[in-house]
Parts: sequence; C-alpha cells; structure tokens
Amino acid sequence: MMQNQIISGKQNKMGKQTDIAIIGIGVTKFGELFHQSYDDLVRDAALQAVADAKISLDDIGAAWLSTAFPEIGVFKGRSGMDLSEPLSLYNIPVTRVSNFCASGADAIRNAINALRAGECDVAMALGVEKLRDRQPQDSIVKMMVEYGHPFLQKGFTAAGTFAVYANRMMKEFGLTREDISNVSVKNHFHGSLNDKAFYRKPCTLEEVMRSQMVADPLTVLDSCPTTDGAACVIMVRAEDVDKKKHNPVFVKGLGLSVSTGWDLPFFDPNHDFLSFEATRNAAKMAYKQAGITDPIEELDLVEVHDCFSIVELLTYEDLGLCKQGESKDLIRGKETQLGGKIPVNVSGGLLSCGHPVGATGIRMVVEVSNHLRGNAGERQVKNAKRGLTHNIGGPGAIASVIVLEKY
Amino acid sequence: MSYIKSYGIALPHFRVEDSTLHPSGKKGGMKAVCFADEDIITLAFEASCNINKEGVDGIFFATSSSVFNNRYHASFLADLLNLSQGILALDFTNSARSGTDALLLANDLIGSGKYKNILVVSADVNFPKIGKERSTPFGHAACAILLSKEKGIAEITSSGSYSSSLAEEFSYKSNTIQNDPRYSRDAGFKNNITTTIKRIVSKPDSFDAIILNSLYARMAGGIFAKAGYTETQFAKDSLTSKIGNTGSTHALLLLINELENGKKSILLADYTNGTNLFEIKTFTFPENKCLQEQLSKYDLINCYQDYLLLRKAGNFGSFTYTTKEMFSSEMMHEREKDTLQYLKGLKCDMCGTIYYLKAARCKKCKCETFSTVQLSKTGNVYAFTSEHYFPSSFPPITLVIVDLDGGGRMTVQQTDTLLPEKNKMEIGVNVKLVLRKMIENDAKPNYFWKAKQNG
Repeated sequence: MMQNQIISGKQNKMGKQTDIAIIGIGVTKFGELFHQSYDDLVRDAALQAVADAKISLDDIGAAWLSTAFPEIGVFKGRSGMDLSEPLSLYNIPVTRVSNFCASGADAIRNAINALRAGECDVAMALGVEKLRDRQPQDSIVKMMVEYGHPFLQKGFTAAGTFAVYANRMMKEFGLTREDISNVSVKNHFHGSLNDKAFYRKPCTLEEVMRSQMVADPLTVLDSCPTTDGAACVIMVRAEDVDKKKHNPVFVKGLGLSVSTGWDLPFFDPNHDFLSFEATRNAAKMAYKQAGITDPIEELDLVEVHDCFSIVELLTYEDLGLCKQGESKDLIRGKETQLGGKIPVNVSGGLLSCGHPVGATGIRMVVEVSNHLRGNAGERQVKNAKRGLTHNIGGPGAIASVIVLEKY
Repeated sequence: MSYIKSYGIALPHFRVEDSTLHPSGKKGGMKAVCFADEDIITLAFEASCNINKEGVDGIFFATSSSVFNNRYHASFLADLLNLSQGILALDFTNSARSGTDALLLANDLIGSGKYKNILVVSADVNFPKIGKERSTPFGHAACAILLSKEKGIAEITSSGSYSSSLAEEFSYKSNTIQNDPRYSRDAGFKNNITTTIKRIVSKPDSFDAIILNSLYARMAGGIFAKAGYTETQFAKDSLTSKIGNTGSTHALLLLINELENGKKSILLADYTNGTNLFEIKTFTFPENKCLQEQLSKYDLINCYQDYLLLRKAGNFGSFTYTTKEMFSSEMMHEREKDTLQYLKGLKCDMCGTIYYLKAARCKKCKCETFSTVQLSKTGNVYAFTSEHYFPSSFPPITLVIVDLDGGGRMTVQQTDTLLPEKNKMEIGVNVKLVLRKMIENDAKPNYFWKAKQNG
C-alpha cells in the first residue's frame, strides 16, 4: 500500500491542476443498432455533444477517438482518422485511444491532459464501438478462441476471467449466488428507467439465476450484452466556461492505473482474486485530487463497470464504499439502489445498457453529468452534487476512476 | 545383451465396453480409448515422462498409427522429454510388430556397445471405421521401456527376428487386402512359428511364461507341444479383454504384465508377418506395478454417442459456433519451450516468489534478479470456473488456477471431463498436470498441460 501512495504522490507533484469543465455531452441509444453504421454512430453522438455545448465542429482544437476492437466489423476505429472522416473534422490532431474497457475513460484523460498542457482550447473525446455487424459468437468470443497465445489462458472468455473472482469471493467472504445475481436485478430495474439502454425490462432474481450458464456461477443475465453505441463529451478549461451558454460539470479527480497484465493475474501466486489492485490505485489517485476521504458519504452516485455482476460487488470494496468482504451487505440492504444511500449504476449499467467497449466509459461520464445537471428524468438522483465513474479493462488489469462535480 | 532398466505405461482413463459399441458385443470385454485430446504423442509422453532420462543416447518410437508424415515421432518426443539434441532417434511404423522391432534393434545396438541407454516407446491409437467396431480389434495404450547396458529388472538373453512373406491382412494404396484366413494361418503363421521355435536357445522347460502375441495364438498349441513345451507354460493374454488389442504396444504390454506377475524366465514371440523372438530372465520384480495400477483405474463410457464424440476429429463447437482454426505458431513453441513444455519457472532472488511467466522485475518486491527453478506437476486448485461458451467436444471447459507444489501458479484446462458428475472441480482439490492436445481439430501439433484430479 505504501507503494501506491508514492505513485499517487508523484501524480500530484505539479501542485493543483487546472479544473476541466465538460460543456457538451451526447450519447446514442445503445443496443443492436443494425440500421446505423460506425460512422452514423460517430455523427449521432458528436453532433449531440456539439449542439449541447453550443459550439461549431470547427471550434474543436483536438480530438480523441476510443474504439477497443476495430477488427470486429469493418476495421473502423484503427486510428483517429475514423473520427475525422464521418464528421469532416480535418486539419486538427486526432488520436485513437485503446485501453480495453477503459478506452473511453482514457480518451477523456488524454483530452484533459491536452487542455491542461495548452495544446487546444476545446477538446472532444468520443467513444464508439460497432460489435453487432457480426453474430455475438463471432465477435469477442471468437477473438478469445482463435487469436491470442495458443496455450496461456486458452479456454477463458471474458466471463470466465471474472467468474474465478466470484468463486473465490464466495469461498472467502460468504458471498452467495443470490447476492451476485441481485446486482443484475437492481441494474435491470434501473435500466428500465433509461430510454437509451438496450434491455429495458426489469427481471427477477429467479430469472437471472435460471438463465443460461455462461461461466460458473455467472449466467447470461449476470453478463453484459455486446452492443453498438457511441458517446461523446466536449471539454474546456474551467476558466473558459461561458456561464450564460453552458451548463458545465467539472472533472475533479482522474485516475488511471495499469496494475497487472493480460496473463499475469492467472500465473501470479500472490494474486488473491479478491480485489482489483488497478481500481484501488486509480481510486486513490482520483480521491486525492478531489479531496475525497470518505467515499460513501461524499459521493452522491456512482457508475461502475458491471460487465459481469460480480465485478460491481468487487468494485464497491475497491472504491472504498465498504470494507473488504462487506459488499454483500450493501446489496442485501439495497443501499446501492436508486433511493438508497449510494445509488450505483442508475443508468442500468453495462448489464442493461450494453457494452460498446470504447463508448462505455464516456457513456458513464454523460450519465453522471446528466444527474449533476438535474436532467436525468425518471431515474434522477436527488440533489446529486458529486458523482464517480469507474471502468475496468482486460482481466481486471486496467482501471480508471473519474470524479465529477457540479459547483 | 541388454537389460530392461525401467518402464512406464500409459493407458487412457476411459474404457468402452464391447456391448456399448454394439448390442451383440461381448459382455465384459472392454477397450481402452483416448479422450478427445489424447493421441499417440500424449500417450507416449505420459508413458515415458517418469523414466530417468540420464544417459539416454537413443530413442525409438514405434506405432502403427502415425500422426506425422515426413517428421520423426521419435525426435519430436525426445524434444518433449528434454532429451539432448543429436541423439539417435528412429521411428518404427507401419506394423503391429513395430513395438518389438524397436526393442530388437535397441537390444542389438546396446549389445554392440555403441549405445548405452535406449528408450523404446510404443504408442498406438487406432480407431476402426464407424460401424466396424465389433469386427476390428483396437485399443489405445503406450509403453516405454528403457534398455540399458547396466543391470536392471530383467535381461534380454537372446533375440531374433524371422521374416515371413505372407501377410494375413494388409493394405495396398489404401485398399485392404485379406488372404483366406485358413491359408494365412497355415502357410503364414504356422509355417513361420515352426521354424522360429527351432531358434530358441534355452531349453523348453526353462520358461515359466511363454507370451505369443498373435491373432492365431490359440492355434499354436500343437506346434509348441511337438517342440516339447507344455500348455501350462503359456501366459494367457489377459489384457485384450481389459483394454483391447493395443497394436504395436500389445506385445510390450504382455511382457510387462508377466514381469509384474513375477515370472522369472519369459519367452516373448510377437507374430505379424514374421516373428520377433526374445528370451528374458528376470532379476528383481518391479516395485511399482504401474500396469496393474492403471488397469484397475478407469471410467466406463456410457453410450455410443459419447464414444463418437471422443474420437471426433475436425471441427469442434459450442452452441452454434464452430471453429476450424486457432492461432498456433511453431516459432512461439520453440522459443518459449522452457516455460511452456519444460515448466521452468523463475524464482525471485529477494522474496522467493516463483513466477511461471518471465518479467523484468518481481511484481511483489521489484527485485530484478531471478533464478530458474523446475516447477512441479502437481498442485492444489486455488480457483476455477467452467466456460460454457468456449468451443469444446465436451463443454463446458473447466479452467483451474493451480498453486503448484513447491511454488508457482498455472492456469490450465481440466481434462478427462467426459463424465461431469465425476469431474466436479472444487477449490482445494489436488490435481496433476498431464500433456494433452490443446486444439482438438488436429490442424497442428499443439500440446500443452492440462489438469486432472490426482489419485
């Protein structure tokens, strides 16, 4: 733990950093968007954000594109070029960011760094993923089967890499399958309130537990669907916010940590499969910048990366919303439901919205921004002043945490 | 001549009853059959991996069911076993007699003084055509025998090979040709055995076990009687009914069986298109009767459909998804051999953490120096899960994270998972690592470790 403090300390060596304001947000519907192409999704999200920020596309000084899996579909998203083309956004720097499921959050981080460094005055971060131009089995499962190292981890799909955490958690902390599946029940209920979510139907505990098994003990309804979607944010330095024009949300904390590798967790005898070091480290960075010491008291809502329901429970602990081993109490007490002490994934999370990998992190920032602005409609968290988004990528190796605030 | 120094046996875990293959099949008769991820290479490796390889300067591989063309099985196996490059490595293929062919030549080469220790490995994995299981003898097994100049369990005191031009059944350009059975028996087998018997050096009454490996063995009584042998000397083939006829491995298994039965003086005659003859004297009896042990441990395949799935070659799938190819690279195998095949790990010089994968620094203590250590092939399950969507002949694939005895951690697939109720994985279960095919579609040689419950 000492090491982590040193790392976080290093990050803040520069002293207080310039506040960044999100002035424009846009998100497409998530789902099986058979009628929309990659380019259509880019235009949909980007134009919403530009309109929301009340700027023109030509005001954008630099942009970051987040797509994690260009090889699924038609090779779109391999470079920043694939953001420029659909928008005719030429003659500015555009970079593609790829960091597994944390890609979207990392695009935001890069945009923020450029604003702070003075490279540009208005920055765009856009995440988009087109997974459903192929059959579901042909997309991410196929990658795990047919590519990669021929031996190491062969046999795992994404579900399995997190299911081993579930089995360990059940053994160590008395977590039950019901606790895990109740995360899915909660998020599907939230999703029913979100018109941009893919699944809009609440489900029962029994439905979750009796659905098709994917990787013991995780069922289909414990797993997020692979979907299409895009999300976009436009950011400026806080001093450039035009109070008459904009309804800004401020980025107060930003952490990203790579804390293990692709293969290492499964071959490292010290790895306990009970927490994600990456999340803990990223949260530490973000909390320090935002001045948060007691997350459950100081945060009003949280969007976590519930790619599989077990990950949400692990993340409660890693974000410090509860002590290690106590996540089951939060879910049993319905503390993380809308109206509870700390609503988690009121958007419906990845489990309901779906997971267009590159877009998810930015979709979360849009979601929290909507709540801070008071625009979240039916699912609005009352008096939300401060929110957090969290992504985890790879086999729990990369995590990002962003703290957002409304003044 | 030479000595049998040690030996190893590999029988697949599963048996199929003749009555499962066909309703009119013999009750009680069984055949040993490979799991979907086994073949002659994995069986041969398992048979030979526990033999002391120090000083081995030759390796012979015998089979009648080659998996390679234009590549030596023997040198491939030598590499898997981490024997030194450049040793004598020869294949004996094409015949059910090739097992004893290899033994014969090894014995003579050691006798000549040119070689000191030759590892003779025979493995056969023959499947009959679908629907011909009742009439075709088959069974899967591997046997490894280390012949040495130094004194061991038994001595081969005399050996010879006596050819016959007449073959009972053979194939010519993929057509099977069968002689009239009575003609083959009389003009081929009886004729050849009659002359062969005359070459036996020891006196007829000195043998307490006569092994005659041939489909016609039962018809040889008269010939042997004429030459002064009695019926009680014959060792009954008790293996065929338990594991089937294991082809090139069968004669060697019969020999090991008699060694384990405590026979002191053995005559081994292996007839297929000619006879190989060995006279063997036993000195000490093997302590670890690994053949008897493996004969007693098995699970039965319940139905013909499972048998068909087991022998499935080609695509394998899960739900609606089938795959033809998986990425596999010969260069990658070669350069990562120490880790992937030989299980060499890295031990941090400071904190002692043992890593399976290479790194510049220890993750725990950041120390930059490591020492190479040999990882063990047994351990306990730390965590596991079953993947229902990953293509496999027998989904789900269970992945186990194993803490190896003596340090280090590996994540591998569980194997021999035909019967889900008998293969339930749990945290803490003791497992051992066995070499199996990773990719069942046989597109490339692709052998890696899998875990199975120990004991």
